[in-house]
Amino acid sequence: MTTALLVWKMLLFRLKEFAVSAWFLLISVLQPIIFATIAFYMFRTGGKPGTLLYAALGAGMMGIWSSTLFGSGGALQWQRWQGTLELLVASPPPFVIVLLPMALATSITGAYALVSTLVWGRLLFGVPLHLAHPVAFAVAVPVTVLALGLMGLLLASSFVLYRHANALSNLLEYPVWVASGLIFPISLLPGWSHPISWILAPTWGVRAIRAAALGGSPWGPIGWAALLGVVYLALAAVFLRIFEYQARARATLSLT
Amino acid sequence: MIRFWRVFFVGGLLAYRALFNWIRPWIYIPTMLGAPIFQLVFFTKLGQYSGAGDKSFFVVGNAVQVCAMSSIYGMTMAVANERWFGTLGPLLASPANRLAVFLGRGVPVLANGLFVSAFGFGIGVVLLGFRPPTHAIPALAVVVIVTAASCTAFGMLLGSIGLRAKDFFFAANLAYFLMLLFCGVNIPLHVMPEWMQIVGRSVPLTHGIMAARRVSAGASLGDVSGLVWAELGIGAAYAASAYLLFRFLERESRRRAVLDTL
Amino acid sequence: MAVIEATDLRRVYETTTGVFRRRPLEVEAVRGISFEVAEGELFGLLGPNGAGKTTTIKMLITLLLPTSGSARVLGHDVVEDAREVRKKIGYVFGGDRGLYERLSALDNLRYFAELYGVTGRAQKKRIGEVLEIVGLTGREQERVEGYSRGMRQRLHIGRGILHDPPVVFLDEPTLGVDPVGSRELRQTISGLVQAGKTVLLTTHYMFEADTLCDRVAVIARGRIVGHGTPRELKSHVADRTVVEVEAFGVDEETVRRLRGMPGVTSVSIEDRDQAQVLTIQSPRGLALTQELPAWLDGAAVGRIEAREPTLEDAYIALVTESAE
Repeated sequence: MTTALLVWKMLLFRLKEFAVSAWFLLISVLQPIIFATIAFYMFRTGGKPGTLLYAALGAGMMGIWSSTLFGSGGALQWQRWQGTLELLVASPPPFVIVLLPMALATSITGAYALVSTLVWGRLLFGVPLHLAHPVAFAVAVPVTVLALGLMGLLLASSFVLYRHANALSNLLEYPVWVASGLIFPISLLPGWSHPISWILAPTWGVRAIRAAALGGSPWGPIGWAALLGVVYLALAAVFLRIFEYQARARATLSLT
Repeated sequence: MIRFWRVFFVGGLLAYRALFNWIRPWIYIPTMLGAPIFQLVFFTKLGQYSGAGDKSFFVVGNAVQVCAMSSIYGMTMAVANERWFGTLGPLLASPANRLAVFLGRGVPVLANGLFVSAFGFGIGVVLLGFRPPTHAIPALAVVVIVTAASCTAFGMLLGSIGLRAKDFFFAANLAYFLMLLFCGVNIPLHVMPEWMQIVGRSVPLTHGIMAARRVSAGASLGDVSGLVWAELGIGAAYAASAYLLFRFLERESRRRAVLDTL
Repeated sequence: MAVIEATDLRRVYETTTGVFRRRPLEVEAVRGISFEVAEGELFGLLGPNGAGKTTTIKMLITLLLPTSGSARVLGHDVVEDAREVRKKIGYVFGGDRGLYERLSALDNLRYFAELYGVTGRAQKKRIGEVLEIVGLTGREQERVEGYSRGMRQRLHIGRGILHDPPVVFLDEPTLGVDPVGSRELRQTISGLVQAGKTVLLTTHYMFEADTLCDRVAVIARGRIVGHGTPRELKSHVADRTVVEVEAFGVDEETVRRLRGMPGVTSVSIEDRDQAQVLTIQSPRGLALTQELPAWLDGAAVGRIEAREPTLEDAYIALVTESAE
């Protein structure tokens, strides 16, 4: 219980830290809107009916993932540069507990991107914001945000060890958008890639959110997203113990 | 005069090495080459799904745009990183000719941009079935070179602004996304509202992409000369602005001692 | 039982050299360090830059794993029992980094208080106490990015003692701080010991080690080359007199010759503006001053003075002797 309270308190700190970084918010909100706009124009030009909400939700999800990815990797790198990474490792709680609020803060900030994308779509492109299953939607969004945050945590755990992992992490933006079928279905992708899609939380998250908004069965995907979240957390905890040990053995904690 | 060229070449090369020293092949390849692949695949597939255009529209648009990524990131990194590492102060305190310094920085960035763009076209051919007519390739190369140069100039301008603004990396990212939107990379210009078209036409890349598309469809270099000159003109204007801004900011910063604050 | 025990600690760093074909290089930063610190002591690790002080301290605070050897803090092994150790120690390092710049000092303290389990009302009270101790009361609402180096150091110390740890590790706490600020910091550090804590301090400032520490271990090139109370260390050179020579135009050759002079135990040279100061240690002391001008043939000589050795001289003697 005290652990949960600790995570909660630290989450508030992280959100506060992000809130005072104007540029980060700019990227969290502007980038999704820009991509959403590109998507809206493309769908509108293509003339496919009834796809604007689909595009809006997809673009919003893209934004959540970008925020999580950039935030998790960037946050850790930022800790390194500030010289606080060592202090965090030297503190009593297990490192996964210290890192968890950071990852969660980034995906929560990303959810803000989802909202602004929908509002933007409504205001400028007349996207109809009609939800087929509002209750399921209200569940699907937090579950997805949480699951994505945990995915970010798993990624961040590898950055503890490899100080240049940050450069590689930026590469995962487009691939996850593609592999998760965020804005075009994974049926467009070769069959062998589908198992990869299934282990990514955003795949289920976007299905859940879309089903809740456009009609369909959201609860299955919600369940899968939640399950994946739990798996990510467990893996992250294990990896972080190993990676932290390795970082102490190889003295990479304080290097920028 | 000799000193100008020395600073230009040697300074540029050393600075490039110093700043990109951490780039090993296993980082360069994913960042500079991996990202374009994904971007190309993403937009081409999205384009096909949304029905907004044929394959080559998106391949050409994105393959030319990726040189902008290299130029913008490269140039802004060149300046912003120096600020970050604190080497900008000593650099500005040196008697080196500023123009030579910046032009020298621009050359490796330009070369990198060309390479990345060529790679992007290669991906288009290999993975996405893009088939331009063979006689179009030299013309295409010219268009890409001109575009890459004007994007590098744009990057220089952004880099000069980077002398003052905090957290400048974010601004470079933002510029990248905005160009993706305004320059007709994935959306034909005429679909966008008037004001967006104006913005698009006043930055690099837009004319270059239009020219590249026509050339890949079989037009000759002569047919697109208007567009190519427009691109060159825009690039020159940005280069001049960058230089002037840099001198102005440098003088201002010295006056107000804001150069060292991060 | 000793509060801090280090037994034959060693640490090797692996790095690479060369640009194209990277060759692995092993640097042995710490080569077998052993010492003990008793409860309530203010123990100093004194040494030049690169001697291995920071590496040693990082091993003790569980941030680095020793390549071999072991260490215990309050009876807990730093590798096996890292978590227990972390709960009971405070770690303070010098420099500008290590704080959340964009947040206020108060927020920084609150964050670390949470991490160290100081919560609720106890947290508020403790933060107030800590701000008093380090002298930052009234300035805690300001953002850290506006703090001077001295203030940051004080905030670092505050952060390190939030959870009232019995053992505090300070790595070059007065580095880069002005003299007045340093004096205040030292007073704060003494205060910690007076309050019953055990403190281990690393520094390369002689004066600091001399005035603050109960006992000092001198580190050079990864090894301890001398230890004891400051007085004991000075006695190591008590049999010597230190002769300071102000000279102009002394070259390497001359310095070498001087080292070969009978009865000279060490010679160090320092450039000060236009002159150089040679510090020569020798048991023969005064007698030496008569012979020196001859040995300094070729160089212009200003004043020659003989004086009592200080801790700095002991330190120089220990460090240069270890190099032989």
